[in-house]
Amino acid sequence: MTGRVFGEDAAALAGPGMPVGDLFDLEQAVDDGLGLPARGLWMDAHVHLGRDRDGHTLDLPGLLADLERFGIASAVCFPPDDPGPGGQFAQANDAVLAAAAAAPERVRPFCRLDPGRPWRDELERVAAAGACGIKLHPIAQRFRPEGEECVAVVRAATELGWPVLLHAGYGARPLAGPVAALTEAVPRARLILAHAGRGDARALAAVAASAPGVVFDTSLAALPDLVALPPGRLCFGSDRPYGDYASALHLIDAAARVAGWSDRDVEGVMWGNLSGILS
Amino acid sequence: MGEPERDSLLTRADGLRLVALCAQAEIALVRRDPMAGPLLAQAARAGEGRRAGHALALAAGIARAVDLADRAPGPSACRKVAQALCRLALQEAQAEVLAS
Repeated sequence: MTGRVFGEDAAALAGPGMPVGDLFDLEQAVDDGLGLPARGLWMDAHVHLGRDRDGHTLDLPGLLADLERFGIASAVCFPPDDPGPGGQFAQANDAVLAAAAAAPERVRPFCRLDPGRPWRDELERVAAAGACGIKLHPIAQRFRPEGEECVAVVRAATELGWPVLLHAGYGARPLAGPVAALTEAVPRARLILAHAGRGDARALAAVAASAPGVVFDTSLAALPDLVALPPGRLCFGSDRPYGDYASALHLIDAAARVAGWSDRDVEGVMWGNLSGILS
Repeated sequence: MGEPERDSLLTRADGLRLVALCAQAEIALVRRDPMAGPLLAQAARAGEGRRAGHALALAAGIARAVDLADRAPGPSACRKVAQALCRLALQEAQAEVLAS
């Protein structure tokens, strides 16, 4: 067996007792069972391109193969946690920008910054090179979303007309208050809260209700959170290479079934809502 | 996904038990915890006959075949696939409970 199954290289899975053929069959069955409309237009809000210091890796050929396999038109891509020697992701940002130059229809390049270090030069540099958004990770880079440094980055992004994708979820600190403070400080900010704010989704939904620029990506999100959030505020995401497309798409399919989303709702989740954020 | 056989014969408590086992197994896999194998085996038994069952049976089989704590590329890839299978199963189990 060759190729990728559930996000992993099938050759790496080969070994005694490994049911590789059954895995391919199940992944295909999941894909065949999806009732999601408008395949071919779908957009992924959350992909890491490059190599994380924890070892997770996705390169452009791997991404393009994934997109082709699942009929996904394009993906918002940004570096993994690979800040590099200067701590400001310059090399990793360059790699994402190079991928976007090589596949401009497929890759929407966001840069990654550390608000706790000098970032304005890097922002200007990547803006000139074609970036169109920012990814921030409060846990990995150890800053507070409501902190002065983060507010300044989000304000600068907003002035450029860029959205900011903020890691949201899985952490110990409550997020609703900090996100509310951030949106109050930068009312016109367009924020994509990753993982549907897993762990804080209910409180974040209340914040989003009064902040029209706040949406949630569905990457590695919890189904009970997705069915409770308005589909008009959701954007499909995979979190490749941490997540895989089969389970990411199955999550949307399950949410649509349970919550009773219309085809129009699903089209919004799968591409329309993100397209609006990026335009 | 999979082949549902006797969903209607199982109770909501069965569904909640399956949700708990899938969630525990997934986080055990993330943490390379040695409890992942036993939890997957329990989840696979709890999932027999349900939509989540096939994915859990495959994940439990992977756990039997590979040392999930091994950080080498092959075992790491196997662990990641088992995580994906757990996510699928958890989604199905949660959908069943939410719809009940």
